[in-house]
Amino acid sequence: MNEKLRAAAEILSSYHGPKLRIMEVCGTHTHEIFRHGIRDLLSDDITLISGPGCPVCVTDISYIDEALYLAFEKNCIICTFGDLMKVPGSELSLSKAKAKGADVRMVYAPSDSLDIARAEPDRQVVFLSVGFETTTPASCIAVEKAKAEGIGNFTLLTANKTMPGAYRALMGAADAFLYPGHVNAITGTAVCEEMKELGVSGAVAGFTPGELITALAVTVKLLGEGKPFFVNCYPRVVRPEGSPSAIKLMDRVMAPCDAEWRGLGVIPMSGMELRDSYADFDARRRFDVPSFKGRIIHGCSCGDVLQGKCRPTECRLFGKVCTPDHPVGACMVSDEGACSAYYMYG
Amino acid sequence: MEFVTLAHGSGGRQTAELIDRVFRAHFESPVLTADDAAVFELGGRVAMTTDGFTVSPWKFNGGDIGKLSVCGTVNDLACMGARPEYLTCAFIIEEGFPLSHLEEIAESMRETADKAGIRIAAGDTKVVGRGQADGIFITTTGIGRIAEGVSTSGSAARDGDAVIVSGDIGRHGCTILLAREDLGIETDADSDCAPLWDTVSDVLDVCPDVHVIRDATRGGVGTVLYEIASQSGVGIVLDRAAIPVDGRVSGVCGLLGLDPLYLACEGRVVIIAPNSRADDIVAALRAHQPTAAVIGRVTSADKGRVILSTEIGTRAILPFPGGELLPRIC
Repeated sequence: MNEKLRAAAEILSSYHGPKLRIMEVCGTHTHEIFRHGIRDLLSDDITLISGPGCPVCVTDISYIDEALYLAFEKNCIICTFGDLMKVPGSELSLSKAKAKGADVRMVYAPSDSLDIARAEPDRQVVFLSVGFETTTPASCIAVEKAKAEGIGNFTLLTANKTMPGAYRALMGAADAFLYPGHVNAITGTAVCEEMKELGVSGAVAGFTPGELITALAVTVKLLGEGKPFFVNCYPRVVRPEGSPSAIKLMDRVMAPCDAEWRGLGVIPMSGMELRDSYADFDARRRFDVPSFKGRIIHGCSCGDVLQGKCRPTECRLFGKVCTPDHPVGACMVSDEGACSAYYMYG
Repeated sequence: MEFVTLAHGSGGRQTAELIDRVFRAHFESPVLTADDAAVFELGGRVAMTTDGFTVSPWKFNGGDIGKLSVCGTVNDLACMGARPEYLTCAFIIEEGFPLSHLEEIAESMRETADKAGIRIAAGDTKVVGRGQADGIFITTTGIGRIAEGVSTSGSAARDGDAVIVSGDIGRHGCTILLAREDLGIETDADSDCAPLWDTVSDVLDVCPDVHVIRDATRGGVGTVLYEIASQSGVGIVLDRAAIPVDGRVSGVCGLLGLDPLYLACEGRVVIIAPNSRADDIVAALRAHQPTAAVIGRVTSADKGRVILSTEIGTRAILPFPGGELLPRIC
C-alpha cells in the first residue's frame, strides 16, 4: 500500500463517532469489497449496506416466467447473460428449463444474439435485456442494427432499469451512497448533484481496492462535517456530462416506463422499454406475451436486504434453504448479490 | 470425407478395419495384442486410476481430447508418486465423426503416451447413434508403480507447510471457455495440458517426503486447496500477489468476472511440502516451467478454509467453490 492509501485506510480503521451507514449501490462494488477484504479495514462504527445495484437481483420473478413462456410456448431461442441462468422463476430457472429442452443460450453481449438471429433465420431469437445504464446501450445498438438490416427474427424482452428512481426510493436507508462508477460513466453526475440538493450525500467510486478505500475514506471524512456532499472519486472514468452519445442512443431507442424491482416494488419511471418506432423488436408485443404474476416467496427477505433494512444473515432462509446452489431469493443468485457475497465470503 | 458409422461398432469386419487402421496403427506395442486382456508383470506398490473425458470442442489451442485423456490419467498417477506404466482406453464415438479426426486423436494419444513413458495396453471402441454422444468420449485407466519411500495424500498437509504451484494457473479452463462459449473474445491463450510425471519425478528426487501432490483439474487450484484443507483438517493462507497467472488469462477473467483460482489446469500440480524444502522444489519445478512459485502456507488456524492475504494487507476468504462458471453481466 502506498502512503496515500495507508492514510485512507487509517481514516476507516480509526473512525470513532456516530454510527455511519454507507450503502454501496453497485453489485460489483459489493463483490470487490468482499474479494479484497475491505470490510476488514473498517472500524466498528462504520457499516456497509449492500444496495440494489445488481441487475440480476432486482429482476422480478415474472420476468423469468415471461422468458420461459417464449422458450416453451413460442419455441424461441432465448439468449441471456450468464448470471441470469440460475435466477428462479415461479417454477423453473433458465438453467433448469435448458435441461428440460428449452433452447437457452448464454451470450456475452446482445450483438452475439443478433449473430445467432442472422445464422438461424428460421428461428425467433429473444435477447433477455436486463441491466442498468451500463448495459442498456449495448441492447440499443443491437436493436438499431437489426432494424437497419431488416432482421425480422430478433427481439428484446426488456427489463432495463435506471438508477435515479432507486436512489429516491432508498433515501433514508443509509447516511451516504457509494455511487456505481460504471453507471455514472454513462449518465454523468448530475443525478448525484440532485441527490445532494435533496440532502443525500454520496461519492462515485471506482472498482480497484485503492479506489474503493479512497471513496470510503472521503465519505467518512465528509460525513463528519455534517453537510450534504457529493464527490466524484472516479474521475479517470467518470466525467460530469457522462457519455452523451450513449445517452442519445438510449433516448432514440428506448423510453422511460414504470418498473417492478424485486424487493422494492414498482418505482415510477425507473425502467426502459422500446419506443413505438421499435415496436417490432419488442418480444412482448411481437408474441403477445400474457402478464405473469410471479409466485410470492414466503420468508424471503430479499426486499429488506436490498433496502438495507436487514443483513442477509438475518433472513430466516439464509444458508438453510437458500444457498448459491439452491437460491430462493435473487440476492443469492448472482455473485454480485448481497446474500451470495455474505454466504461465500462468510 | 470418411466417417465413423454404426457398422464400425458392430463387432464385425468393419470394426476390425477401424481397429487396424486407427488404433493398431497408432498404438502398436508388444503389450497390445488381439487377446482379451493385456498381460504383464508388476511388482511393488501400485497406483491405479480411471477418468472419463468429454471435452467440447474436441480440439483446442494447445491440445485435444486425445492428449487430454492421456495427461489426465498420467497426472493422477504422478500425484500419488507413481511412475506411469500401462494405460487402457475406451472410446465412445458418435456416428458421423470424421475418421481423419479419430486418427488425429489416436496419433496425439500415442505422442503424449510416449512423452509420459506410459504404454497403451488395451482398448475398446463403441459407436453410438447421432445425438447420443457429443462427437467422441474417451475413458482411460492407468496403472503406475509408486516410487520407493514416497507417500502422498490429500490428508497429509501439516501446519507450516509451503503451498506450491508448478506453473501459472487457469490456462486450460480459460482456453476451453473461450472456445466453447464463443464469447467474441480473442486471445492466443493456449491450454497448459501436459503430462507431468517428469516434473513430479524431479520434485520427488529433491524432496521424497512431499506431503501432498494434486493436479488442479476441474475446479482449479481453489477447489483443490479446499479439498486438501478439509481432508487434512488445516487452513490454507494464500498470498494473492504470488499466484502466477498469465496476463491473457487474468485479462479474460477480468472481462468475464471469473477468478483464475477456479479455472481448470491440465498440466499443473499443487504441491504441499515442508517449508524448508520449498526453495529446492521450486527450483526443480522451474526447470520445467519458469512460472512455478510458492503461493502460500498451511496453518492450523482457519481449519477447512482457504484465506487470501490481499495486496492491500487485508484477509479475504476465498469463496467456497461450487456450481457452473457463469460469466457475469457487468
